[in-house]
Amino acid sequence: MYLLFIILSIVISLSIFLFKKKNVTTILSMVFLASLVFTSSYAYLNINKTDNIFFRYDSLGVLLSFVLTILSLTTFYFSRNYLKKFDYNSRNVSIYYAALIMLITALLSAYFSNNIAVLWVSIEATSLFVSILVFFDRSKVALEASWKYLFVSSIGIAVAFVGILLLSISASNNGFTDLSFETLINAVGNIDTLWLKISILLIITGFSVKLSVFPLYAVAVDAKTIAPSPISALMSTVLVNAGFVAIFRTYTVIAHTEIVAWAQNVLFIVGLFSIFIASIQLLRVKRLKRTFAFSTMEHMGIVAIGLAVGGIGYYAVILHIVLHSFVKAGLFYQINQIHTTFKSKWIDNFSGYFKINPLAGITMLIGLICITAIPPSGLFVSEFLIFKALFLGHRYIIAIAALILLTVIMYVILTKIFLGVLYGNVPDKIETHKPNYLEHIIQIGFFGLVMYLGINPPEFFIDLINNSIAILN
Amino acid sequence: MTYLFIIIYAISLIYFAFAERVKKFVWLLVIQGLILFGMVYFSLKEIEIFDLIFILTETIVVKSIVVPWFLNRVRKHNSLKRIHEPSVPVFYSVIIIMLTLIISFLLSNNISDSKMHTQFLTVAFASIIYGLYFIIIHKNIFSHVVGYLIIENGIFMLSLAVGNTMPMMVNLAVLLDVVMGILVLGVFMNKVGNAFQTDEVNQLTELKD
Amino acid sequence: MISLLLIVMSALFFVGIITKIKAKIAARKMPSILQPVYDVIRLFKKSTIYSSTTSVIFKIAPIVYLSSVLLAAFFIPFGGKAGLLSFHGDFVFFAYLLAIGKFMMIIAAMDTGSGFEGIGANREALYSMLVEPAFFIITGSVALFTNHISFQELFAHFHVGSNLSYAISIASIYVLVYVAMVENSRMPVDDPKTHLELTMVHEVMVLDNSGFDLALIHIATWLKFAVYGSLISNFIIKNTWNLYEQIAVYLGVQIAFACLVGILEAFRARNKMNKNPQWIIVLSAIAVVAFLTTLIITQKIILN
Repeated sequence: MYLLFIILSIVISLSIFLFKKKNVTTILSMVFLASLVFTSSYAYLNINKTDNIFFRYDSLGVLLSFVLTILSLTTFYFSRNYLKKFDYNSRNVSIYYAALIMLITALLSAYFSNNIAVLWVSIEATSLFVSILVFFDRSKVALEASWKYLFVSSIGIAVAFVGILLLSISASNNGFTDLSFETLINAVGNIDTLWLKISILLIITGFSVKLSVFPLYAVAVDAKTIAPSPISALMSTVLVNAGFVAIFRTYTVIAHTEIVAWAQNVLFIVGLFSIFIASIQLLRVKRLKRTFAFSTMEHMGIVAIGLAVGGIGYYAVILHIVLHSFVKAGLFYQINQIHTTFKSKWIDNFSGYFKINPLAGITMLIGLICITAIPPSGLFVSEFLIFKALFLGHRYIIAIAALILLTVIMYVILTKIFLGVLYGNVPDKIETHKPNYLEHIIQIGFFGLVMYLGINPPEFFIDLINNSIAILN
Repeated sequence: MTYLFIIIYAISLIYFAFAERVKKFVWLLVIQGLILFGMVYFSLKEIEIFDLIFILTETIVVKSIVVPWFLNRVRKHNSLKRIHEPSVPVFYSVIIIMLTLIISFLLSNNISDSKMHTQFLTVAFASIIYGLYFIIIHKNIFSHVVGYLIIENGIFMLSLAVGNTMPMMVNLAVLLDVVMGILVLGVFMNKVGNAFQTDEVNQLTELKD
Repeated sequence: MISLLLIVMSALFFVGIITKIKAKIAARKMPSILQPVYDVIRLFKKSTIYSSTTSVIFKIAPIVYLSSVLLAAFFIPFGGKAGLLSFHGDFVFFAYLLAIGKFMMIIAAMDTGSGFEGIGANREALYSMLVEPAFFIITGSVALFTNHISFQELFAHFHVGSNLSYAISIASIYVLVYVAMVENSRMPVDDPKTHLELTMVHEVMVLDNSGFDLALIHIATWLKFAVYGSLISNFIIKNTWNLYEQIAVYLGVQIAFACLVGILEAFRARNKMNKNPQWIIVLSAIAVVAFLTTLIITQKIILN
């Protein structure tokens, strides 16, 4: 059944690529979105069932696929507006949509995959399609970002593959011949701990380029800065979710072995370094999107720390990534509007936004409040839970260091961008256009959703999260 | 018999350290592909015959024919310089590859136990480390791709260790080559050469703050 | 005794064969094979001139050089029987005998006070230093393979064993051929025909020698070639053959070695001077790989 979806999307993508007409693209995109919605609902209705041994609709996958579906709908809408403003030729547009469809398919496969090799292949496919999308406007800077992203991402994928190979060598020596996660959980009991440690380290390093954490974070940040805004939104949200799924599932494999304490230390180091580096780099950024790319890195650092600390941290981590996806997406869509209004990507040119367009100014304000985890943002709830778990687990030094760094980050983001929104003179060459109310509704809708999910989440949402982390307890 | 191929592969790594001409890099990659073909033939004896033929074909076609052909095409299309000078003199690179080989052989001697087949681990480890070193010391994109392909040959050799029980892993290792070789080289290298008129990496620094 | 006689005999013809092959490939008129002997006899008849800046070292250096090479020739076995001298660990002594001769030549070259000879001495010292590991590692792996440590026992027990000795033979012969080329200052490290002082290595060290001394140096060069050729032939000759077969194969190997050197000289250009160190260190790297192979073969490294 899931294979049908993959085949359908490949066919749609190829058709869009081959016939470069606009109506064909629109119709086929609608078909694709419909099938995406259908697949997510089907997965929710058949939760925890396996579908043709490589895919399994488990709770984490279903939750993230809901996020992916909602974000894909908005991405297609915003892409359409984005592409209308810039007059690109039909070949580039068709490549854009074809790659976008394949990217979403690969991401969905990564969420649902039950086998570590299939997970790896899906993530490699996502790197490829994201590079094609980053390269969209064919400028020199885009080429640089795209090449660097593809190359370092390939090296990361190769390193992760070495880790997977070492894991499979050890597993096959004990007689297990397939790499599904259940088999691996059973097999790790007999594997020599040295091999297990080395392979876990390599897998975490390899997938760190997707999760945008230390050590391979730099190219992800560059790529998010340069990509077109709807794609940056997608990259900062569902793509890092795919990286998170990879590391999460690897962590569940070893969660009941004796090396779990060591793995937790590794994740603590990764998380702390990511927040530290993000806070240092944020002092120096000059482009608007780069600020939020580093903010993604910081949030993923918090996620890594939360995953390592355990207990209530597991619940908080999954809540955090879902909420973060919506906030980031809304923010990037708003930044798209800011870029077109001010005709510039630099923070220096961004001032007096409130005077130009009050509605957009307020949207941006609400977004900033949400992303920096100020209550009533839902991110405040998840971060609070993570820090509570840290203090309950007696990890005071990590908690205090993280708190100080988060304060620094909050200070930097607010002073750089907050001031630009509210104060300052209006620069000369700006372009005011008719406000598009649907875009605003979507953005405010996202921010509102984040607050709602943080304060009063619905039952099925809590159940999904609890089922995803059931295996860890 | 596999040992013979492992030794010849080690010698080819030494020649990588010694070579400076770009054409020689491409030829060495072809030779490494042939060595890997021999290794697959002699070591994967326990899988089905159709799987074996498929893996052999894809190894020789991808590693020895398609990827070097693309590399050559990029070289001619961008009129690359004949010699790419590394930033560490060749003399020290040869010493470093010698030390890497010795360390990897001694390492696999120390960790060998009856459960792991370590004969591939030796040169695979040396190849991965040397590929990373190659990427670091060379400063242009073509050599970076060549370094990545050296890493990949090492990973392929490592996947042969588990190839008898899980032939899927060997296929995935060749998939890495397909991605880098065909898609990256075929598409991106042309664009980079055209856009930048050079392939020095220190030109790619606009995105820094 | 037979070994020494054979070495001296092949030394007389060696350089002549090299020159003849080179001339034939270049389609020139060939001098006779004994032309180097005639040259040396001519040199014996001339008088020796000593520069006033030189000291006693310059006078005794060629004699020490020739005697060290001759003494080294005493150690080479032939067909499983020892040379004139043999003891445990004699291959180390062999290497350092050759080194003493080279050392005397180097300081004699520096003794003349000429700048060019200093350059040559400098380069000669560097290349010898870089090629020394290759020789020791190769001989060491053969010693490891046969578990004996003197030349005679090494070669006596070398072929007793499996087909693996072929692999080690091929690696050793390859490395030894190139070591011989470097030690004797032939291509691609140094061109014996060039007379541009800035690019000479060995020839420039003997620029100031004349007459009797120069004759001694030429004889020492032939002997060195013959010694290396004899070492190589030991890898090929089996002890089980009878004496005439062994002598025939020995002469065949020497002639083949001379032809190989001639062909390599005719077809290769000399390396750029600053590429020489890296070329020589590649020899040591290949020797290291051969050594690791021996370790695997003799099960000192366990790989399964």
